[in-house]
Amino acid sequence: MLTILRFAVLSIFLTLGFSLAQGWDGGDDLPTNPLACGEGGGGDVAMMDYNGGQAAGEMSMMGEAITIIDVPKLVGIGYFAATTLGQQQAAEELGNVTVTTDAPTEANIDDQIAVIENYIASGDINGILFAANDPVAISPVLRSALEQGIHVVGYDANSEPDAREWFVNQAEFNGIAKSMIDSLAAEKGEDASFGIVTSTFTTPNQARWIAEMQAYQEACYPDMAWLETLEAQEDAVLSFNQANTLINKYGEDLDGILGMTSVATPSSADAVTQAGLCGEVAVVGLATPNAMKPYVNDGCVESVVLWNPVDLGYAAVHVMRAIVDGELSPGDTSVMAGRLGELQVVNGSEILLGAPFVFNADNINDFDF
Amino acid sequence: MADAAQTSKPTWVQRLRGILFSQEGILLLILLGVIIVLAQQNPNFWTVRNLLNQGRLMSEVGLVALPMTFIIITAGIDLSVGSILGLSAIVLGVLWKGAGLPLELAIFLALIIGSLAGLMNGLFIVKLDVPPLIMTLATLALYRGLAQGISQARSVTGYPEWFFIFGQGRILGLPTQLWLFIIFTILSIIILRRTTLGRSLYAIGNNPVGARFSGLPVGRNLLIIYTYAGFMSALAGVVFVSRVTTTRSDMGAGLELDVIAAVVLGGTSIFGGKGTVIGTVIGLVLIQLLKNGLALSGVTSDATIIVIGVVLILAILVNNFIQLKRTS
Repeated sequence: MLTILRFAVLSIFLTLGFSLAQGWDGGDDLPTNPLACGEGGGGDVAMMDYNGGQAAGEMSMMGEAITIIDVPKLVGIGYFAATTLGQQQAAEELGNVTVTTDAPTEANIDDQIAVIENYIASGDINGILFAANDPVAISPVLRSALEQGIHVVGYDANSEPDAREWFVNQAEFNGIAKSMIDSLAAEKGEDASFGIVTSTFTTPNQARWIAEMQAYQEACYPDMAWLETLEAQEDAVLSFNQANTLINKYGEDLDGILGMTSVATPSSADAVTQAGLCGEVAVVGLATPNAMKPYVNDGCVESVVLWNPVDLGYAAVHVMRAIVDGELSPGDTSVMAGRLGELQVVNGSEILLGAPFVFNADNINDFDF
Repeated sequence: MADAAQTSKPTWVQRLRGILFSQEGILLLILLGVIIVLAQQNPNFWTVRNLLNQGRLMSEVGLVALPMTFIIITAGIDLSVGSILGLSAIVLGVLWKGAGLPLELAIFLALIIGSLAGLMNGLFIVKLDVPPLIMTLATLALYRGLAQGISQARSVTGYPEWFFIFGQGRILGLPTQLWLFIIFTILSIIILRRTTLGRSLYAIGNNPVGARFSGLPVGRNLLIIYTYAGFMSALAGVVFVSRVTTTRSDMGAGLELDVIAAVVLGGTSIFGGKGTVIGTVIGLVLIQLLKNGLALSGVTSDATIIVIGVVLILAILVNNFIQLKRTS
């Protein structure tokens, strides 16, 4: 009853909004930078001056043991379990870093801020790693951490640049967008109609990807048709229901579902499988390999786009250590990150993990996270 | 609380016992116990800095808990407060950025919209006799849907510096929103204890039909308190936006549960007719300090929720047990 009512009200207003809205639902209003169509097309990264913040105080802790708190968007999902695993690997390898992961059990901006406030107040941390639930809302508390001499590094989801020192960017937004749309085109043709299941319209990463996907699709596959974007938080049941909504609402017209979160993609694949539409409706999306193995091995899903979240967590801890040891300062163009080798600095104060990775039936069983 | 036992000429001992074994007295003792334990766990817990910060964080829930106490005393409930908070926040953002109104006017209109949302709850409950649980469950969805529709689910940011006074600023050393909370707490205490409106709420909660036949303006008073809840949710929304410097349509989701937990822990009976504002404030502080203190002691968030659940049950059991012994 509640869901029906909420959905009814939502759809009425969303439909009203359609006439006004220019972009796809769920995209943001920032300028886009689509990559070249087809194969390759890495694109040069423009150099920018350092635009991150700076932790107060001169206390050098070079080589000393440090304690870091890691505050992902939420705990209890596979994706952030994988980043935590990577962080622990890096901590073990370095030997002088202790990382503790703590975050709300729901992706809630207010709870996340409270967790960070509490750790700052506890006074026994040297650094904060975070993945923001909201880029603006999290910034005041991060700035206050910097003011108190605590180092701040983001990964996965950014804050405002000056509220942290560095951000480990898992993949350039336009790169992910290109992989998603290219995969869809390869499976369903250059005139595919598709719907999107995302987390919320305001989640920064998803909003950015959707905006970039739109720009890339308009430039490279003008005949593709976007049907609708639906919000599903990062909730498995809700994602399943929203994927079903797309299937039922658009029927034959629906060629593909793009899952924008590691929860939405397997749930969408599940919905397509249960509807008996494997092969009819393609599911392309961001997800962890373990969650997608059943569907990829069944042949129901062909491409899963992602970076390696274990590497992402691993890199974040190395970046934190490099800041503390003075090996990474504003103006540097690269940083050494253990087994990952040298990582490039992009966009002023971001460290790029690398190109996105497309998992398929040939390689997915080689990964376990 | 001093006149909790206004029997004929009570002795000092009786008065003290009355205070000590009242619902609030016991809760206060539990609170003191919790504070002592937590303060020993981490030296950073019992510091002015941390306590003020907690005051800042609990004010939004607190502001809404005040009218919620009124409503629950009348045996009602308002589940839509979190959604009203979200709706008002969105109205504030959209009117300011989208419609280009001065921010002061946008704040004022957001408070009006919140009050109207509360009034609508009240009208359906009073005029159409819709049970409060059903009505506000419906508006929980409706107001959230409106917030998402109006905002197109995009966030509004870039507020001017002066606006941050409500959520991040300080007045005379105390966080601004804590002042708001203190002022409205005092106001609510006076309303509940000293005015006919306040006293009638207990009568409504105990026996609505009897209250009506006694000539009390039951309908009018219910309208007032549901509107008050809407207004306070909107005020909490303004504070929230100012604190996190952005407006999102999912703001305040789940707030109703935190609010109701504080009110019920504070001894207000969910069946109506019984409850105090002081109890609610103690309940609120207890939950907030528990959350904070456990986190400072290195307990992770997921474990904290479990501990808080257990403490809630224990506190209510201990209280019921002692109240039972007193009456028997």
